[in-house]
Amino acid sequence: MTVVIGFEGSANKIGIGIIRDGEVLSNPRRTYITPPGQGFMPSDTARHHRAVILTVLKEALDQAGLKPADIDCVAYTKGPGMGAPLVTVALVARTVAQLWGKPLLGVNHCVGHIEMGRLITKANNPTVLYVSGGNTQVIAYSERRYRIFGETIDIAVGNCLDRFARVIKISNDPSPGYNIEQMAKKGSQYVELPYTVKGMDVSFSGILSYIEVSSAHKMLSSGQCTAEDLCFSLQETLFSMLVEITERAMAHCGSQEVLIVGGVGCNLRLQEMMDVMCKERGAKLFATDERFCIDNGAMIAQAGWEMFRSGHVTELKDSWITQRSLCLFTTWRTPWVI
Amino acid sequence: MAAPEAEVNTHTGKLEFSLDVPFPSAEEAIIALRSLSPDREPRRGGISKQLSVSGNTLYVRWSADEARTLRVSVSSFMDHLSLVLETMEAFGPAVKLHT
Repeated sequence: MTVVIGFEGSANKIGIGIIRDGEVLSNPRRTYITPPGQGFMPSDTARHHRAVILTVLKEALDQAGLKPADIDCVAYTKGPGMGAPLVTVALVARTVAQLWGKPLLGVNHCVGHIEMGRLITKANNPTVLYVSGGNTQVIAYSERRYRIFGETIDIAVGNCLDRFARVIKISNDPSPGYNIEQMAKKGSQYVELPYTVKGMDVSFSGILSYIEVSSAHKMLSSGQCTAEDLCFSLQETLFSMLVEITERAMAHCGSQEVLIVGGVGCNLRLQEMMDVMCKERGAKLFATDERFCIDNGAMIAQAGWEMFRSGHVTELKDSWITQRSLCLFTTWRTPWVI
Repeated sequence: MAAPEAEVNTHTGKLEFSLDVPFPSAEEAIIALRSLSPDREPRRGGISKQLSVSGNTLYVRWSADEARTLRVSVSSFMDHLSLVLETMEAFGPAVKLHT
């Protein structure tokens, strides 16, 4: 049996999860929620994480009913993400790994999402749509690497949703995306927004400026459309773009599975639209709920479990964090999947 | 903890600051050193930070071009140090390894 504890805190969530051979033993999490109209800044987010991380760690051990001695490896998010929050979490992971005499393991955040999605849904070799506040990528596995087939050329889809929420002052509690999703259900009028797909890539920044400065904002203030209509129109436009590039990647790879991961992945309208496309192609959609879609510690533990079992550890001197993306090389999957 | 005021090195013209942090044992000082060392200062920040341990004391030495960058680095180091100390208090002491 291999038990791995995973520390995640690359954005506004701080989560610590424990995995024992595919079983989630505990996965507590806290979210730093800012007032409407405000985003989360790195230093404030790091302060939030510092204030709660040791409490969350105690919860993770208590809920799992484990002692430090029962743990085989301490995994943490090495990157990508916001610098200050990543350092906070890495500091605690490094310290407990030394106190407990356990090996340390730096995990790529993105690989964490993919491996957790594969564990929970049992998808074998899916085309992955990774959509969150900081990332928008279509990823497929081939020859020992997770390869990026398409991505955003400017801001992430979740960032577009978050900033839209700030413009029209939607609450950030529990998350801006969730509140937009609920309001969109009451929208009836479709407001046309810029639809920008460039080959395998997408662009969202134009949509945001269109809403911020041009006609959409005027339509709202003059009462020609409601905030609910804009939420509805925004979701339909953004998600159509994502479904389009996912379908193109599937056609390219000959894939019959789609896995949606990342915080935006728990949006049911996105899942519904993706499912329509999948059914048309005779493919299968896999998605998880907010426990595992949204950043959490168990996903880092799960990717760490795979890495640790295939012989990886991270020396303390190499345990620096990085805000940029890392290599998506894998040693735990078979090189070719038919 | 001994912390003299920041002063200008007359040879290099750089601002210097130092901090000596005593720990209950040498083992804990080394754990703190290894937890706090991996993340480097920004490359173009005009600042350098050296950490070392002797006995049960952690020594930190800064050298910076500007007071502003020095202040930011020292203040963030203090946040990091106190988190490491709290972690040691809550989840220590270190297990004895038979190696």
